[in-house]
Amino acid sequence: MMRIHFEPDACVGHGRCYALAPQVFDADDLGHCVVLLSEPPAELADAARLAVASCPEDALTIDE
Amino acid sequence: MDPGDAVNPQTGEANPYLPEVAANPIPFYERLRDHLPVAMFEGFGRGTWIISRYEDVRWALKHPEIFSSDFVAVDIGQDRPLIPLQIDPPEHAKYRRVIDPTIGPHEVAPLEGELRVVVNDVIDSFIARGSVDAHAEFTVPLPCIVFLSMCGLPLEDLDKLLVWKDNIIRPNTGDPEQDAKVRRATGAALYAYFEDAIDQRRGGSGTDLLTRFLTSEVDGRSMSQEEMLDICYLFVLGGLDTVTSTLDCSLAHLAQDPIQRQLLADDQSIVPAAVEEMLRYHTPVMQILRAVAQPVELHGHKFEVGDTVMLMLGSADTDPTEFGEDASEFDATREVNRHLAFGGGPHRCLGSHLARLELRVALEEWHRRIPDYTVAEGAHLEYSPGIREIVSLPLVFEPVTVAVAE
Ligand code: HEM
Ligand code: SF4
Repeated sequence: MMRIHFEPDACVGHGRCYALAPQVFDADDLGHCVVLLSEPPAELADAARLAVASCPEDALTIDE
Repeated sequence: MDPGDAVNPQTGEANPYLPEVAANPIPFYERLRDHLPVAMFEGFGRGTWIISRYEDVRWALKHPEIFSSDFVAVDIGQDRPLIPLQIDPPEHAKYRRVIDPTIGPHEVAPLEGELRVVVNDVIDSFIARGSVDAHAEFTVPLPCIVFLSMCGLPLEDLDKLLVWKDNIIRPNTGDPEQDAKVRRATGAALYAYFEDAIDQRRGGSGTDLLTRFLTSEVDGRSMSQEEMLDICYLFVLGGLDTVTSTLDCSLAHLAQDPIQRQLLADDQSIVPAAVEEMLRYHTPVMQILRAVAQPVELHGHKFEVGDTVMLMLGSADTDPTEFGEDASEFDATREVNRHLAFGGGPHRCLGSHLARLELRVALEEWHRRIPDYTVAEGAHLEYSPGIREIVSLPLVFEPVTVAVAE
């Protein structure tokens, strides 16, 4: 099972995560990340991995 | 001249402000990263250090306590430091907390329908001709119309706003003193215009951007008139030419790259990824400035307090250490794309959600209606340095008769 870890202090709202995996991440009113599913199901795993890898601030990490 | 020659490893100097570099910056960026990761640019009347590698630029963006924005680096006719661009953390966050929600992703999403209508109206105005100066007739008016409409300002003000914007960004009188004068006068006119618009909205219940500034609070108090004016000023300076230049670069690129253009015209679901790749590959805002606030060392170079530093976003965005061996190729289907075209760290572009929406809808509608186009024969595309607009972008395509509504 994959587990997503989010570091709010590092997030500045690039919005890559919720654009690439909208079922796993959403935006708050500042445009910063909100994790919807910290343990996404298998069918969303690829999207989640791409989203995490795309964060330019390294605010997201995954434990597999 | 080869753009790479604008970097001189012998003297340690580099000049990003040449038209040859703006037109074709990738060889310039490559030489900078490989030979002069800290370079000197003798422009602006004083020396400016250039940082160009992805990790170095990203590191600088994340350390505002070292690389500060708290200075009036460029005289652009403003009365005070621009909010939030020229304010450092922690003060900076207070403003972002107020302004971000007025233009956040959920806030701009409902504008999509209206935006699509605007884009199509603009396309209608030239599609029957089979030719267009895409810069003057498409990419310049679009973001301005969007801005006026978001602020609840009349569309008739379009021409006025365009003239003001140009007078501030590039007065081009040929004389620095005269330039400064034009900037001051235009700045004053722009402040007065928004002052008036804000006054008209006091006590009102509209939902436009300006009314929302009036009802927003910073630190438990409402925003002062000055603060609101500063934000308006920055939206005009930061939110128009940037979108124009990204669209210029995108259309010029696709007009000359039929394979990628076909990909996009055939499958519009790749447009969002193509927009990110346009931002990366062309990085329309080539560089941003910082002032050194603490002594710091990088690649053996010692920066001193007060030094001016240019973070070369464009070279960071084409650095193979981050983007792989094909970093200097355009790939509309690139997957992981951590580009810094909107900057990074606390000052990351506040208008990026609106910008992305504008770019996506503009490219979707353009390619739905004009899937096949080329640069007019004999046209020479001249890019302006700094913000990579194309001075004139003549495109030709099969003319389409527009059905006139009854
Ligand atoms: C494709 C279009 C755009 C690009 C490439 C772009 C690029 C940038 C960059 C690189 C920065 C960072 C500046 C720095 O750190 O010194 C920035 C900041 C900013 N941008 Fe944009 N921008 C775009 C569109 C917009 C739009 C549409 C708006 C407004 C409606 C806007 C408003 C701002 C503001 C207010 C800031 C300052 C944020 C701060 O300092 O906290 N931008 N932009
Ligand atoms: S991509 Fe990174 S910085 Fe951007 S919103 Fe997501 S977590 Fe935040």
